[in-house]
Amino acid sequence: MAHVSIKSVAKVYEGKVRAVDDVNVEIADGEFVVLVGPSGCGKSTTLRMVAGLEAITEGTIHIGDRLVNDVHPKDRDIAMVFQNYALYPHMTVRKNMGFGLALRKMPKQEIDQRVEEAARQLGITDMLERKPKQLSGGQRQRVALGRAIVREPSVFLFDEPLSNLDAKLRVTTRTELKKLHQRLKTTTIYVTHDQEEAMTLGDRIVVMSAGRGVGKVEQVDTPLNVYRHPKNRFVAGFLGLPPMNIVDGKLAESDNGLWFDDEQGLRVRMEDRYRDQLISRVGGPVAIGFRPSAMSEWGEGTYLPPDGVQNANRITVVPRVIEPLGDSIDVSCECGSAKNIVARLAARADFPTNQEVHLSLDMAHVHLFAPGEFGENLIH
Amino acid sequence: MTKPASIQPVAGAPFTPGRKPKKAAPDTSPIEASSKLSRTLVFVGLVLLGMTFVVPFVWQVLIALTENPSEVDTLTRTGMPPAIEPGNFAKVFQRVDFAKYFFNSLFIASWATILQVITCSMAAYAFSRIQWPGRDKVFLLYLGTLMVPGVVLMVPNFAIVLGLGMFNDYTGLIIPAAFSAYGTFLLRQFMLTIPSSLDEAASIDGAGHWRIFSQIILPLARPGLIVLAIFAFLFNYNSFFWPLILTKDDNLRTLPLGLLQFDSTYGPETNLIMAASLMAMLPPIILFIVLQKYLVKGIQLGAVKG
Amino acid sequence: MIGTPKKRLGIAMLFLLPNLIGFLMFTLGPVLFSIGMSFTDWALTKHNPYSDESIRFVGIQNYERLLVGDESHLFWDYFWNTVILMIGIPIGIAGSLGLAIMLHAKAGPAKPSGRLKGALIAVVVGAIACGAVWLVMSPHAAEAGVKSTEIGLADMDQQKVDALRASFAVLITAVLTGVVAIGLAVGQVFFRTIFYLPTLLAGVAMFLLWKALYRPQGGMINAVLQPFLDRLEGIVFATPMMLWYVLGIAIVILGLAYFGLSMARGVRNLSSGDAGPAMFGARVILTILLVVTLVGSGFVATQLPLIGLFPTEKPAPYSQSRAQSVLEELPDQFPALGDRAHVDSALIAYLAPRLDEQALRTLLEDASQLHDGTVPEETREAWMSLGSGVMSEIIVLFDKAVSDEERAEALDRLKIDPLVRPALQELDGASLREAAARRVLVWVDVEPLAAALQTLVPEADAKELNARLLDNAIYRRGLSAGDGLNAPAWLIDAAWAKTALIVMGVWLGVGGGNMLLYLAGLSNIAPELYEAAAIDGASGWQRFIHVTWPQLAPTTFFIVIMSTIGGLQGGFEQALVMTEGKADTIVLTYYLYNLAFTDEFQLGLASAVAWIMFAIIFAMTAFNFRYGSRMTND
Ligand SMILES: Nc1ncnc2c1ncn2[C@@H]1O[C@H](COP(=O)(O)OP(=O)(O)O)[C@@H](O)[C@H]1O
Ligand SMILES: [Mg+2]
Repeated sequence: MAHVSIKSVAKVYEGKVRAVDDVNVEIADGEFVVLVGPSGCGKSTTLRMVAGLEAITEGTIHIGDRLVNDVHPKDRDIAMVFQNYALYPHMTVRKNMGFGLALRKMPKQEIDQRVEEAARQLGITDMLERKPKQLSGGQRQRVALGRAIVREPSVFLFDEPLSNLDAKLRVTTRTELKKLHQRLKTTTIYVTHDQEEAMTLGDRIVVMSAGRGVGKVEQVDTPLNVYRHPKNRFVAGFLGLPPMNIVDGKLAESDNGLWFDDEQGLRVRMEDRYRDQLISRVGGPVAIGFRPSAMSEWGEGTYLPPDGVQNANRITVVPRVIEPLGDSIDVSCECGSAKNIVARLAARADFPTNQEVHLSLDMAHVHLFAPGEFGENLIH
Repeated sequence: MTKPASIQPVAGAPFTPGRKPKKAAPDTSPIEASSKLSRTLVFVGLVLLGMTFVVPFVWQVLIALTENPSEVDTLTRTGMPPAIEPGNFAKVFQRVDFAKYFFNSLFIASWATILQVITCSMAAYAFSRIQWPGRDKVFLLYLGTLMVPGVVLMVPNFAIVLGLGMFNDYTGLIIPAAFSAYGTFLLRQFMLTIPSSLDEAASIDGAGHWRIFSQIILPLARPGLIVLAIFAFLFNYNSFFWPLILTKDDNLRTLPLGLLQFDSTYGPETNLIMAASLMAMLPPIILFIVLQKYLVKGIQLGAVKG
Repeated sequence: MIGTPKKRLGIAMLFLLPNLIGFLMFTLGPVLFSIGMSFTDWALTKHNPYSDESIRFVGIQNYERLLVGDESHLFWDYFWNTVILMIGIPIGIAGSLGLAIMLHAKAGPAKPSGRLKGALIAVVVGAIACGAVWLVMSPHAAEAGVKSTEIGLADMDQQKVDALRASFAVLITAVLTGVVAIGLAVGQVFFRTIFYLPTLLAGVAMFLLWKALYRPQGGMINAVLQPFLDRLEGIVFATPMMLWYVLGIAIVILGLAYFGLSMARGVRNLSSGDAGPAMFGARVILTILLVVTLVGSGFVATQLPLIGLFPTEKPAPYSQSRAQSVLEELPDQFPALGDRAHVDSALIAYLAPRLDEQALRTLLEDASQLHDGTVPEETREAWMSLGSGVMSEIIVLFDKAVSDEERAEALDRLKIDPLVRPALQELDGASLREAAARRVLVWVDVEPLAAALQTLVPEADAKELNARLLDNAIYRRGLSAGDGLNAPAWLIDAAWAKTALIVMGVWLGVGGGNMLLYLAGLSNIAPELYEAAAIDGASGWQRFIHVTWPQLAPTTFFIVIMSTIGGLQGGFEQALVMTEGKADTIVLTYYLYNLAFTDEFQLGLASAVAWIMFAIIFAMTAFNFRYGSRMTND
């Protein structure tokens, strides 16, 4: 067991391509940390630096209390599961799983014992004598997992281990991974581009982006915090499905309050408690962000927000397309300058389309961002 | 090629439930499903062409079984030797030291092949699995020499072999053939198709370069190694120019040279010549039958013999 | 990547070094070395440990000598030989594509079960066919003891001849059955294997097989061809020679007209912008190729009567009685013929019936003078030319050669017929003229000669002699040709030798790597393309033109480049094994070999040849890349 600390790490490929920059993550012993971000943002690069497969250009990485910058992968006490599993095609499952142990000169008996134990846990005992080619995708995935487990390393590294599985298998395997981690309590770094995987698996998640020409860490926090309090517009847009609605506009002052105004009909009054924070931005460009679930139907003819909502704004939208999801419906609508705002509302069969409808916007879930793709969150 | 008429069921089939397209086999689309006629024609064509490739060999066997060279004339007039004489094969060995030629060819080709596979696979590993400064430049040099025609190398190599004192010696035939830019290129291409995550996994598992090379890459590159081995073996087995200019002793003669010598001495005895050439053809045929699968794949990988 | 760059370099070097040393020593080094060599006068005969002459730098003198100087006639002669032999390349590529398409197409029964059933049926039918063939052809026609009257089979029982023919027919039927049955059972893989066989076996053994196949008499090709020619004979002789000229000229005109039309169209497309310059370049090249082929074949048609496919006059038939009578007179008329008379007699006996009185008399006088030792120079030369250049080589060699070993070696090098060897080995310089005369024996038509020998040379085993003569027999037209149309003397006749090598080259290479590359290319074409084309209404040919051919363009491009590179360097082994460089078959590589590794070992000059070849190859490849790759993209 070991904690991992990544300090000011940067990677420059072949003297030219700066892949990631200034990565700082502290991973506690036994923690499950997920690196998530769009493809090309340097997640794998970061993970591979931890594994020792890529040299660290700048910064330091410690595993336990040991500085590992110049330590060979085999001596870092880690195990890694690759996206394509990287099973040796010419070896049986048993050989595959025991290879690392054999190289460490472990007695054969003990290897067998460990391999069989891991196989039992993963339910692949019947497949020990098969070659990887004779296995299904899910089975291969388990073997790759088994290969990592038998080594009993102090850190597990996963690089998109589920992305080659079909959707259903992905979900069940995800759960099993979580259970496995709960049982083994091994420090784990897990890379995925799938936000759902990140949210469900991670004790904490590290959101990365490539938007500024180099891979960067945008936010490190627990899944819920990242979801509720995204640090900037990128993180806000990246997490959540359907994604957060974000509309560009201006911050204006009137009626004693601060208003978001896109000057085409979408006006939202910001809560007064943020007045001090925001006052300096009045007249400047900002973007408002609200998740589809932050909206609900505004009762016909009344000016009161729905029950339980403390502070709401009424916005006017024109629904264009309704997508029923069972308990709820996703309504795509036009709203002010925004051509496509998605609202997730309670299901109703006769929801009107192509006419004006009023929705309530729960101000507790509204964000205001500074301009630009990476504009910081001004109120959370 | 099918006739366009046969495509008609395509348009109709999906939208007319209850009526199945009549003849199309279940796994082929109607335009693919050639008519019986075209299938037959193609097959007949293949058989006829195949015969033009088989018959010369049949003729060769018949001559090789003819007792007396004068009866070859009878054979061409009637198609058959008047009497079958399997002893010709033994006769070849009595007339010249054919066994020695055979041994020389197999010996030289085997050693050249083994050494070439070893040196090329190691070099290919260095080119495909290790990042080192200057790698691409050195590889470009290798590639560049592939464009240089073989004849350019003949004269200087002759001089070099002469200078190294390997003239008229096994080493002169084996050592220069133990390296190959082409083989390195071929194996490098092959190794590049092996996912790098495998050596990364092995590296994490605790394997060093030599172990990754010998336990991961080599087993996985086996088809490529076999292809190279076949090419190298065939090339050296059939090699003619090199032994011709580099040997002068009879007991160093390889099969091609031996055959040529045999032909010029016993040329009129066609039956013996054919018996000898037939025997010389056996090793490649055996090799091919055993390893056909790899060879075809290898060639289709873009590895053209030469 | 793991480790510091320096460490990685170290490890990489450990892996690379064995190969790198060899590479530097036997590939890269030689390449550089060779450039240097080509600017020197290095020749092993001049510069060796036993001479103190040093190698001189001669600048571009070697290149000059080859391209415009004293070696230029040879160089260009061999260059054109090489180019002509390369005609086989496009033919072979087209053939490879054809074979690949056939192998790729669906053939035989559709269902796997049908395949085995088909194979079984084929075996049964084949077995029945073999029986039927035997029954029809087996020896019931002739009674036992009746001798055959056919030429060449004169001493065999007709019954035996029939039996042999029948068994051959059965054998071929059986082979055909085998091919059909295995082809049905195994499918295309089997045919692919058969087609690949020659490539696999390419080498001296294969060339020897083809040398045997090509033998003018006793070779399979002419044995198959001659009966057809015999049948054609009537038609051809009934055709006025004029017609051939007209036909040939018509083809030439057609070719030129096509050239004009195609160019006009190309220019039109170019100016209207329908096609770019690359397309135009491609059109020019293709058209020139096509037209050269057309004009060439037209030219050949006009030449047909000239190159002697059709003998202009028929020699008189052999008459044994006349030969006999001449021979009986010989010793009396020409006592100078002396002891050895019987051998020369045989020649004369052969020639006698075929020559008019005057010519015969001259000949006999010459022959007797040969034995007198008073032969005039011209006569000797006449004999010589009759006996071909080989004889003059013998004389030159023997004049130099003193010891027995030297002579034996000389005979070795000349590849002298073993039958004549003992006699030659005993000869002293003076008896050479006799040998020259005797040598004539092996250059004339064999069949009647052998018959004559049988009566005349009792101590020689005539049959054995016949067999050996067969192999050396040259068809000296006019002297030797039989009646009617004659199949070519493939490898011996300079007019046919290149054709023979081209045909062999195509047979050897058509099913090789190129075919497999095309097969791979074909299987990479998305079936949707064909489906789309079919729905668009493209016919089979149109689908080939618009889908297959363009999709295969990169493959073709690769194949053309590799084949031209190979073709320019090739042809050495074939020529050395099959023609020994005779019959105008020396190619550039052969020339290089001659320069560097025989006689004077002129390594410098040979290197210059190599670099000129490299320059040509490089230019062709660059050209291919420039225009070919654009064609692939169009
Ligand atoms: N070996 C390499 N050489 C050069 N650039 C690389 C290499 N590997 C990755 N990169 C670059 O580094 C960036 C990050 O890649 P990666 O870590 O694989 O992203 P992710 O795993 O997040 O999709 C990408 O822009 C990629 O192009
Ligand atoms: Mg990745």
